Amino acid sequence: MTSHRRPEGGSAIDRDDTVGFTVDGRQYFGLAGDTLAAALLANGVRVMGRSFKYHRPRGVVAIGVDEPNALFTVTTDGVREPNVRATEIEVFDGLAVESQNRWPSLDNDLMAVNQLGGKALAAGFYYKTFMGPVIGPLKGTRFWMMCEHVIRRAAGLGRPGTARDESRYERINAFCDLLVVGGGLAGLHTALEASEAGKRVIVCELEPRWGGGADGKKESEIRQIVDSLESKPDVTLLNRTTVWGWYDGNTLAATERITDHLRTAPEGAPRHRHWVIRTGHVALATGALERPIVFPGNDRPGVMLADAGHRYAETFGVLPGQHLTVLTNNDSAYQAAAALRHVGANIRAIIDVRPEIGAGAQRLADRAGGALKLGHAVVGTSGAKGLKTISVARYNHQTKSFSGGSEQIETDCLLVSGGWSPVVHLASQAGAQPIWDEALQAFLPPDPDKHWSVHGAAAGDLDFGHDLSPAPAPVFEIRHPGKAFVDFQHDVTADDVRLAHQEGFRSVEHLKRYTTLGMATDQGKTSNIAGLAIMADALKMPIPEVGTTRFRPPYTAASLGAIAAERYGDLFPHRLTPMHDWHTDHGARMYAAGHWERPESYNRTGETVEQAYVCEAKIVRQGVGLVDVSTLGKIDIAGPDAAEFLNRVYTNGFAKLPVNKARYGLMLREDGFAMDDGTTWRLAKNRFLMTTTTANAGKVMSHLELCLDVHWPDLRVHVTSVTDQWAGAAIAGPKSREVLASCVTGTAVDNDALPFMGIVHGTISGVPVMICRLSFSGELAYEVYCGAHHGTHVWEALMTAGKPFAIAPYGLEALGTLRIEKGHVTAAEIDGRTTARDLHLDWMLSSKKPFVGSAMMDREGLTDKSRWTLVGVVSRSGEKLHGGAHVVAGDRDEPGASLGHLTAMAFSPEMNAYVGLALIEDGESRIGQHLYAADPVRSQTHIPIEIVSHHMVDPKGERMHG
Amino acid sequence: MAEPFISTPVITDAAESPLVGHYEQGTFGNLDRGAQVTLTERFPLAICDVFAWTGSETKSANAIKRATKLALTKTRDAVSEDAQAFRHAPGRWTVIAIDPALPETLTTAVGDNATVVDLSHGRTVLRIDGGQSRRVLSKLFPIDFKSDCFPLEKGIATKHHEIFAQIQRVGDDAFDIIVFRSYARAFWHALRRSSEEVGYAVE
Repeated sequence: MTSHRRPEGGSAIDRDDTVGFTVDGRQYFGLAGDTLAAALLANGVRVMGRSFKYHRPRGVVAIGVDEPNALFTVTTDGVREPNVRATEIEVFDGLAVESQNRWPSLDNDLMAVNQLGGKALAAGFYYKTFMGPVIGPLKGTRFWMMCEHVIRRAAGLGRPGTARDESRYERINAFCDLLVVGGGLAGLHTALEASEAGKRVIVCELEPRWGGGADGKKESEIRQIVDSLESKPDVTLLNRTTVWGWYDGNTLAATERITDHLRTAPEGAPRHRHWVIRTGHVALATGALERPIVFPGNDRPGVMLADAGHRYAETFGVLPGQHLTVLTNNDSAYQAAAALRHVGANIRAIIDVRPEIGAGAQRLADRAGGALKLGHAVVGTSGAKGLKTISVARYNHQTKSFSGGSEQIETDCLLVSGGWSPVVHLASQAGAQPIWDEALQAFLPPDPDKHWSVHGAAAGDLDFGHDLSPAPAPVFEIRHPGKAFVDFQHDVTADDVRLAHQEGFRSVEHLKRYTTLGMATDQGKTSNIAGLAIMADALKMPIPEVGTTRFRPPYTAASLGAIAAERYGDLFPHRLTPMHDWHTDHGARMYAAGHWERPESYNRTGETVEQAYVCEAKIVRQGVGLVDVSTLGKIDIAGPDAAEFLNRVYTNGFAKLPVNKARYGLMLREDGFAMDDGTTWRLAKNRFLMTTTTANAGKVMSHLELCLDVHWPDLRVHVTSVTDQWAGAAIAGPKSREVLASCVTGTAVDNDALPFMGIVHGTISGVPVMICRLSFSGELAYEVYCGAHHGTHVWEALMTAGKPFAIAPYGLEALGTLRIEKGHVTAAEIDGRTTARDLHLDWMLSSKKPFVGSAMMDREGLTDKSRWTLVGVVSRSGEKLHGGAHVVAGDRDEPGASLGHLTAMAFSPEMNAYVGLALIEDGESRIGQHLYAADPVRSQTHIPIEIVSHHMVDPKGERMHG
Repeated sequence: MAEPFISTPVITDAAESPLVGHYEQGTFGNLDRGAQVTLTERFPLAICDVFAWTGSETKSANAIKRATKLALTKTRDAVSEDAQAFRHAPGRWTVIAIDPALPETLTTAVGDNATVVDLSHGRTVLRIDGGQSRRVLSKLFPIDFKSDCFPLEKGIATKHHEIFAQIQRVGDDAFDIIVFRSYARAFWHALRRSSEEVGYAVE
């Protein structure tokens, strides 16, 4: 037991359970239930951090989420989580943390030399230093870039790591009649009342323990309420859960910390859980935070909030010092002093800025012992790495003047209370403007409405008992020479606030941004009011007229992992075709196309992707190949007006498409630009199966639904996504018909029975299939569709039937190569900026009927001859082209303006050259020109190319019609 | 009379579940309190979407009722041993049955009042049952699964991230989740992962 740990008290700790933890590799011991801050205090550690800018040694100030100084980096299995408050880290055996923003060590930080920078590092340092000329070439941005590295190392917070966080995160949805935010007495009573009225209640408390800041004497009352709530089935009690955001519709966001305090997580337990809580009513019982007072040397380790000092003793049995002093402007600190005296602390003096105090405070002062110095203030502190003495002078808080000399008092802990600020953050997030309360010298939530209410200290109901007054004297700063800090974490001083005012930053919003007051990880919980008061004083305006900034989520840092939850890594929603396992079993490299996983190429050992796809493309051109096309969007279109509907959404005619025939169709957007293409099969008089590109399936489905619901509700047509109902395999190549003939039963597949764009129904290996003869590759080809559950069965049957013909599977790369050679377009060319004419699809624009986009497609800008149009390109140097490269007329030195870009490229085995498709200005008239494909950033290539027709192979289509 | 319908009944010998290779029976996760939920895949099933023409909703509901013998009405969802149906959009029902002839039976029953789309291959039905089923589902869907908000037989359409899902309550603590076949494996893993905390069995 250390001398700082009292032999009695400590409601949160288990004195029989000692735990070991390390700080910067040094071993310490604490008790189960300790926070890191409590355990370090118990070990006599005073310096727990270094300040942001000046690297001043800092000790713990608070006991909860408002702690600005004691920030550590928690290291777990190589993963670093920086800027975690020591007041919230629960110690356990094996906990390892690192101190931050110091070099080489927390105790001896050489960067503390920054303190010599004095006023040079005041508010606006960056703005003043890095704007405008400095010395010669070292000016503005260039100077900043030179200094940035050094400055970033010299100032800041913790360093995040790069190790992958393997922790599990989770989210959960919850619904209730009443959400109580805050598990203090006010919150617990509110919850109990509602639960007894039969309401569904959720109570969230950010600390591990229930009761909030309630007096230790109320422990049994708290236990009783919690037991009662726990016994009710419609009550959910969530401790270690911070409600940090309030959004529309009474939807609140909370983070539950589940395993941070455990050495070993239970099986299946996530580290953090993100709660999305939809509630009928919100009861805010968020309590109030004690404020410090700004005075010179107020940041020395050992200066602490009075209530924090009190609670460290009560909750953890730890005394924050041996010889305590108190500085206050209100009665609540007397309670802390008396309680600390009761557990054995030596109270040296109570310094109160007020000239008089009430009987209740006087009684507590008598109980606390020590000198009572009314009408005095602390005007300075001393001590290298911890408080040793304070300077006290007589002070008139109304005139803000001092009289007489100053007196030195030896003390290792000064407990400060500058009054209390109700936690109005959530109410503010919900849109409520806080209202200044002159008596409490604090912002209170406004009058609630039916959707929310506010309870206890959060409502300004500050009951300290013992005839104590909740009203403080309006003293936020004791102005005296010396560095007096307003925002501890960002090293913003009272002089910085006044400097900002002098420099014209008068709005509280500007003050915040110029000085960074309140912008640190604690979001100004201990500094906002004092900063505002100092600015109001400078402006000679009352505080409420200066205003306060509106609070935004999150109240405290929220875990991004939990918000993202289980959607990433191995739980990414990959979409798999029915034949997925076959592909991976046969060496396919899978490629993510949106959510879909598609085979890129089937690589043999040692083969590159390019070698594999060139080989696959050759096989298709010369023999037969099989590709999985299950990812194509498929939409069932049914109803007596289905043909008319298609006639309206496609640019070409569909009304007369015979049953068992398919047609290639093009859709435009209403603005006349191309939207998607695909084939649509007429399966019966009133039933069609539309296929779309993989990428646009969802977009086309939405478009069709919009047309039916909004434009033509009179049409009797139903559309249903059947993408997943059908497995699809395209068999392509001169020998494809022979393969089908050898395995399809129930129908012939010769040219008469199955002409180009014909459809037949048959079976393969006992499974019903639909076969349509169409081609994306430009070869004789067929698409074979079967029920998705039968996909692998039919695929394997086709592979078996194709074996005598040396059939091989081919992937996306080969498919891309084949279509590039043919000049067939995909989403790379139908990119939202191209028209049918740009893509040479104007032959599909019917002049006999209107269709979606027809009214807008002939606009001047869409028919301009200089528009980018589709062309083919061939590399003249044999160099590999790069998709996205610019097409330019000039050489590398004088490339000239971009004429367009390459949309796709591949090595063409047919042409024995790297080829591509491009969209270029006035493309058709450039055929035959020699230009360049410039890719100056990625590959730094500048490749000579020839512009050719986009139909590079079999321009007459003889192969696919053969 | 409706046109001849294009359907492909699931042929058990040739069919493969999307969960093949990923459907491991046993108990998993935190079993301190035993397996508090049970997960199963219901395969194969006949699954159809019935889409009524405007004005024919009641006739269509009655036709589904006749074809499946479910106690279905225009506004009430229903579950039996052999079949289940729920309305997931105005005039639109998902109907599931063990009988593979469901598409043809429904097509005949609805006549010209509705269209029927066979989705037997396109959807996967997963069942979660057990005392903690609501908690597990709450991790995946922004839906209030409390009994009085989500009564027995009720069905809804929602999504888990980008995965479209339909959910029907089929027992006191049992829910069927219907997802696209292509997402079934991803969703199965998400469901298992979400169940680990309460311990689960796969049957």
